[in-house]
Amino acid sequence: MSPLLEMRSITKEYRGVAAVEDVSFALETGEIHALVGENGAGKSTLTKIIAGAVTPTSGTMLLDGKPIVFAVPKDALHAGIAMVYQENSLVPALTVAQNIFLGRERFFNRMRGINIAAQQFLQSLNFGVDPTASVGSLGAAQRQMVEIARAVRQQARIIIFDEPTASLTPEEKFHFFGLMKRLKQSGVSIIFISHALEEALQNADRITVLRDGKHVLTDAAAKLDRTAVIRAMVGRNLSGEIYGVHAGSRAVRARGRKVLSVQNLSMGSLVRNTSFSVFAGQVTGMFGLIGSGRTETAKIIAGVLKRDMLHGGEVKLDGRPVRYRVPQPAVRDGIVYVTEDRKLEGFFETMSIGGNLNVSAMATKGGIFTLVNLAEMRRLAKKWIDAIKIRAINGDARVIELSGGNQQKLVIAKSLVQTPKLIIFDEPTRGVDVGAIAEIHQFINRLADEGLAVVVISSYLPEIMNLSDRILVTRQGRVVEEFTAREATEERIMYAAVH
Amino acid sequence: MLRGMIDRFVGRGDAAVTVPPMDGALRPNQKLEEAHVAIEAGAPDNLVLRRGDVLFSSGRDLRRLDTGAVVRNFDRPIACVAAAADGRLAVGLTGAEVVIVDPDGMVASLPIAHTGCATALAFLGDALIVCRGSARYAADQWKRDLMETGAGGPGTGSVVLMPRGGAPRVIADQLRWPFGALAVNGHIVVSESWAHRLLLLDPHGSSPPRPVLFDLPGYPARLAAASDGAAWLTVFAPRSQLIEFVLREDGYRRRMMSEIDPDYWIAPALANGRSFLEPIQGGALKQMGVLKPWAPSRSYGLIIKLDDDFEPTLSLHSRADGSRHGTTSVLEHSATLFVASKGGDVVVAMPVEQLSEQ
Repeated sequence: MSPLLEMRSITKEYRGVAAVEDVSFALETGEIHALVGENGAGKSTLTKIIAGAVTPTSGTMLLDGKPIVFAVPKDALHAGIAMVYQENSLVPALTVAQNIFLGRERFFNRMRGINIAAQQFLQSLNFGVDPTASVGSLGAAQRQMVEIARAVRQQARIIIFDEPTASLTPEEKFHFFGLMKRLKQSGVSIIFISHALEEALQNADRITVLRDGKHVLTDAAAKLDRTAVIRAMVGRNLSGEIYGVHAGSRAVRARGRKVLSVQNLSMGSLVRNTSFSVFAGQVTGMFGLIGSGRTETAKIIAGVLKRDMLHGGEVKLDGRPVRYRVPQPAVRDGIVYVTEDRKLEGFFETMSIGGNLNVSAMATKGGIFTLVNLAEMRRLAKKWIDAIKIRAINGDARVIELSGGNQQKLVIAKSLVQTPKLIIFDEPTRGVDVGAIAEIHQFINRLADEGLAVVVISSYLPEIMNLSDRILVTRQGRVVEEFTAREATEERIMYAAVH
Repeated sequence: MLRGMIDRFVGRGDAAVTVPPMDGALRPNQKLEEAHVAIEAGAPDNLVLRRGDVLFSSGRDLRRLDTGAVVRNFDRPIACVAAAADGRLAVGLTGAEVVIVDPDGMVASLPIAHTGCATALAFLGDALIVCRGSARYAADQWKRDLMETGAGGPGTGSVVLMPRGGAPRVIADQLRWPFGALAVNGHIVVSESWAHRLLLLDPHGSSPPRPVLFDLPGYPARLAAASDGAAWLTVFAPRSQLIEFVLREDGYRRRMMSEIDPDYWIAPALANGRSFLEPIQGGALKQMGVLKPWAPSRSYGLIIKLDDDFEPTLSLHSRADGSRHGTTSVLEHSATLFVASKGGDVVVAMPVEQLSEQ
């Protein structure tokens, strides 16, 4: 019996450079197939070829044993192939219900009927999203849920999920994988891309590994383990470099002077009377479920958001009360925030690496009459490409052309250009491959070793435990517990986060 | 003036009703609660070491810690004590002057004009350092002094250096209740309770006072030398948002002071939970009859170890649900740390080597 979908010797070249080279891939009916690889390995290109968003340069694709060519994504959709993109494809101005039914509207639509149908559908998926809310007002996790709901709603035979769980809470992930299994039982085939290897190993039937655009390995998930997958992905054993060292068994950096003191900070119902300190020469980890106010707290400190106008608490930098209405004075005082949403807030994607770095540098020392110095821009780009190993042709490469991991490194470089004394990383390795994760972790550790005060916000417990010298747990808008790296366990942290 | 009014309205600057967090080295634990009892006594206060014996003050008595025997009795409650290397004792009496007790028992009084309201004493060589908490009240009236001073009012306290046989010299004044002194490397470190900070003073007066630790989450009290660090610092009560708010409300405080018994003021305390009349016990965080340890209580027990740069390195706590509150004095001797809990009527002891850094 032939596979449901088969790709034979697929190659896709961009200006003579192969993004995918001679890759063969097969998907069986009712199979969950995980596609893993470093950023830039060709996963997204391969799945976009399946979804009709990209046309292959050579090779053939067969659906139900018959050759097929998709000119546009709509062709793939009609053939029963839906894709949930990592980048959000929802319309922010429309409601959740309108987005779910987008493209499938009837001539006359009754909003109430659409809302009720959407409500029932979302409930059947265990997704707690209000169908009448506008998508623009939703957080990243809820937007992801709407994306997934829309794909499932299209009743596709093949659904491709690109990093579906990156912004979901543990509970939402549990529901999502339950949904995936239900879809599988009903005969739907699923391809899912994930950088969380445990998810692939636990939930997939088979795993395919790509490296540098080439097929490396396809095998049953039951026959593979984490180390084998990582070795196939990067060509070396990285397991110990990333999450292999337990927090309790490694040396903890000594606390330096108190750089930041947050006292009774409040912002509406998102940040509620929270207090904590950050010390120089240490990585302070901040763990909490989505909605626990971590990002909002960090953004208030960095001047991106404003605390409550009346009795909103205090932020003290080196003992001096500070209150920023915009980020620039915070940057000048040495506070930088590395955003969790790099695509939206991290960079100008059509600008070059040098241009992006220059914009950041100008935030600290530029004025309204500053002229852009192209030579300086290129020097800056070269310096940081070398310093944090951004893989790009040169400093003139546009950010949109970089892989996710390299984009993240650029966002970090943009922050470091501003010579901070306090740097806040919000989900620094979200959507980043394991090779880049190891490099980013090493870099974060190096910053703390050099005496900077570093805050790492992460929803991924192994990351928090591996990086942090002290761990703050947030719940319902405030820091509720503090653990030293030695005493922290996943159970204790999670207990504090949910109880 | 306009800025002050706006600050007051929006709650920022000096009008921000905020409290520093107890985290990092000050992360709460139960170490004071778990420490073993060295002796139970009524309001034990100042611990000193004289010729190898640990003494402590309790009411009018100066007692030995090991036997509980009264070494000497005074006609007024003892406010503070210090012991010199040659065996002399300096004793500050509540509402009176400081007296010097020679090793042979002879007593000499120092002038009350320079030693009234002594809250802490320390010897710097032959000279005596006297912390005078206030120029208005006696040492036992500390609560009234705080309420009268408020959050931003000028202090009336001072630190006086009294060389043996020489003229007294004020080395710092307008302090907000200096409550501890320690000679460190030829300088004097003083805890300024109402300002929640430590000041480094030059005994020669050639440089101005310099804050070395500030924004403490409680009211610092006496200091003692640590064998491997700079100092041990006691904190006798915590700061809370409610009290910080009251300290900014002048009219409310005036009325409270005139109409209510001081034991029931919204003010720091050495102990709480002793009467149902006390205001908002533990921030009303009593559930099923159990006071939560994180409740914002009026009293607390806290000892902080400071390093050479006066940065906290570890802390010992008795939290809201504990009883060893009102920690006013600490002493390290023979690898043991002794802590006087004035509010808990007990002196506790613990081996120093078991106190690992946090």
